[in-house]
Amino acid sequence: MTLKSERMNLGNGVNLNLIKTDKFKSNLLSYYFMRPLSKDEVTKNALLPLVLKRGTDEYTTNLEIQRKLEENYGANLSIAINKRGEKHVLRFTIETVNGGYVGDRDYIYDVIDLLNSIIYNPVLEKGFFKKDYVEQEKENLKRRIEGRINDKRSYALDRCIEEMCKNEKFSIYPLGNINDLEYINEDVLYSHYQDVIRSSPIEIFYVGEYDEKLVEYIKDTKNIKRDNVLNIPREQIISSVSTKNMISEELDVNQGKLVLGYRTGIPYEDRLYNGLVLASDILGGGPNSKLFRNVREKESLAYYISTSVLKYKSIMLIDGGIEFDNFEKTIDIVKEQIEDIKKGNFTDEDIQISKKSIKSSTESIKDSIFLISEFFFSQSLSGDNRSLNQILADLDGVTKEEIKEAMSKVALDTIYFMKNSEKGDK
Amino acid sequence: MDIKIYENEKIREKLYYKEMESGLKVYFVPKQGYTKQYAIFATDYGSIDNVFIPIGEKDSIEVPEGIAHFLEHKLFEEPEQNIFDKFSKFGGNVNAYTNFNQTAYLFSSTENFYENLQLLVEFVQHPFFTDENVEKEKGIITQEINMYRDNPNWKVFFNCLKAMYNEHPVRIDIAGTVDSIQKINKDLLYKCYNTFYNPSNMVLFVVGDLLFDEIIKVVDKSERKDYKEAEEITRIFPAEPTEVKEKLIEENMMVSIPLFYMGFKDSDCNLIGEEQVKKDFVSNLILDMLFGSSSVFYNDLYEEGLIDSSFGSYFTGKKSYGHSLVVGESKDPKEVYNRIISLIDKPTESILLEKDFNRIKSKGIGEVLMGFNSIEFIANNFIDLYFDDFLLIDYLDLLESIEYKDIIERFKSHFTKDNVVLSIINPLS
Repeated sequence: MTLKSERMNLGNGVNLNLIKTDKFKSNLLSYYFMRPLSKDEVTKNALLPLVLKRGTDEYTTNLEIQRKLEENYGANLSIAINKRGEKHVLRFTIETVNGGYVGDRDYIYDVIDLLNSIIYNPVLEKGFFKKDYVEQEKENLKRRIEGRINDKRSYALDRCIEEMCKNEKFSIYPLGNINDLEYINEDVLYSHYQDVIRSSPIEIFYVGEYDEKLVEYIKDTKNIKRDNVLNIPREQIISSVSTKNMISEELDVNQGKLVLGYRTGIPYEDRLYNGLVLASDILGGGPNSKLFRNVREKESLAYYISTSVLKYKSIMLIDGGIEFDNFEKTIDIVKEQIEDIKKGNFTDEDIQISKKSIKSSTESIKDSIFLISEFFFSQSLSGDNRSLNQILADLDGVTKEEIKEAMSKVALDTIYFMKNSEKGDK
Repeated sequence: MDIKIYENEKIREKLYYKEMESGLKVYFVPKQGYTKQYAIFATDYGSIDNVFIPIGEKDSIEVPEGIAHFLEHKLFEEPEQNIFDKFSKFGGNVNAYTNFNQTAYLFSSTENFYENLQLLVEFVQHPFFTDENVEKEKGIITQEINMYRDNPNWKVFFNCLKAMYNEHPVRIDIAGTVDSIQKINKDLLYKCYNTFYNPSNMVLFVVGDLLFDEIIKVVDKSERKDYKEAEEITRIFPAEPTEVKEKLIEENMMVSIPLFYMGFKDSDCNLIGEEQVKKDFVSNLILDMLFGSSSVFYNDLYEEGLIDSSFGSYFTGKKSYGHSLVVGESKDPKEVYNRIISLIDKPTESILLEKDFNRIKSKGIGEVLMGFNSIEFIANNFIDLYFDDFLLIDYLDLLESIEYKDIIERFKSHFTKDNVVLSIINPLS
């Protein structure tokens, strides 16, 4: 199957992307709203989808919405609040069983109406959002922000990014800031909502079976007011390390969490970017990587240790769970392995293995209706017009020299270590 | 070839089956147009199988906690080269998991499927344990255990099981403890391996755009032929009282808000096949009707700020144990508990309405259909159901056959005030 997206501009910063496939037993419709990642609006953006999914003008409570979804063969509604580089992205998705399987081809219109209402026709009270809903969701958002600490691994990664990028927008936590909640009420949030609806660049994705009638139905945006559509700038890439940070946090934990943050200075548009992706994979991508072999298999220091590249911000992160006492030993091994790649101490086979692994996971996108939509969204975000096949071919063309060169640009910026106050001192 | 083909028109899927001479059963679901291929080689052996009679012996032994999981790690060891390397060369992404009931080895690939399949069959059937490589693994698994010790969701879950069960090994952590794994050595590992990794106790499942004939050829070529006739495995489970062990279990951890697991212990065990899977569906439908996001209960407590979207529930049951779990985060878990108790105390017909049942069943049908989009869903559910003696291909039909009266009957026997426990993780003060 070749994946093809038919992209049409609906005017005023709204694009519709259609991906035709009969491979799945379902259809998927997604709306992505893009905002700048900024301290001013991050908390309002994060709160907004939580309030919107509470009720529409027709289905005024969560209970009614949920029952409507269930009646439609368990149509699956999901929302997400993420940062992609320095863009804040709000996603609203609905996935439904293909009508042919349940003998009801037209119910999809009903489901599209529901998703549209959740986004565009929220339940209102005195012209604003319902006060109760806003207050309840503020409380929920507060708890979710506080709940960051529950997952120690992702908390450690977030903390490393926060410290490393403390003077950049990228450090902003996508669910916002508890202190902001105080100033947000139904009035403030509603006026922000109108701003979001009017001025956000919007990407709509439909993946599945469709005909002209359905496309026209999705395109119909007659009631939406649009003006001053934002032009969100590309994130800044910092390549030099100005101050090295060493952050150590003491928590009541049994295992130390080590995160190393590196600047690469290689933007995703750069010819070396694919080299960086491969270098990172050879270093710590999978069970065949240098870190897995040396830190886990040879020294038994960790159960997991892995490397990842944050595409939009050109940062490389290494994270592992280790004994508190093995902090220095682990860092030494990591540094040694990076030096090794810089010097070219890896084989053609290592390169082939990494290429295979990355290509395989890239190709697997085709098997998930959701990942197909995410893939094309990510292509639109980065202004990348290459087909999936072209992307695979480009990866294949990366040379050993490029991998070395990419790794030679990598510079350690921040070390974050989570340890236990008592055990760490012994 | 002696091949059986099952077909289900409604879900438009097929299932191929053949039993090899070794006793190994091979199943395959073709997925045309899919890029990824997936194979799982699983054995009916999990963390609960910790007392048994080793093959060729007379007396039962009790093995250290965590040994099934330890064995899973160790099967990746090869005499010369790490098995990860071999898979990587063929572009295969290999992994494994151990749960209460099964140990499974799997890979996914987008090319060289048959080469990867050969590796899978070979490495699972060729254990290589030495004193040295067993010792080395203890460091890695200690880190894995420590990772889970810092995970409050894992903690609150296992504490709940510990409260519910008096004797049954489902109360034991799958990975064991840092102390218990020290007692593991290569002889014990071989004993477990030889007992539970006989092909007659295993299943191989494949899904993807592939050919069954080719799959069978590869299995035939790569499987070991030197297995002795399979003996019936004697697994010994302690008698588990109907009563729960403790009503309440609390612990403090580094969390922002209390986490809770409320458990209803099942007494209607020892079912197998269709009966077992039906009970599973029925119990889950009840939980969804009572506590799901379209229930009055959920919405009332949500609006009061007692629960949030982390609130959920599910039933899980196997031959020797079963429980319903209602889980979430709350500033006041004890109040949530009291509200659940007073809910189930109400007249059954007033809390379980037929119209809710029909709606939620229709949602379940949609979810199963959508599940068949995912080869991971197909593979993992196949394995789980297979060891319950049920074929995934019949899954939707079974769900459709469930009636409202099944719901009422099951509710009365399972949701009582006597079989309830509450596990809470509180924030550190």
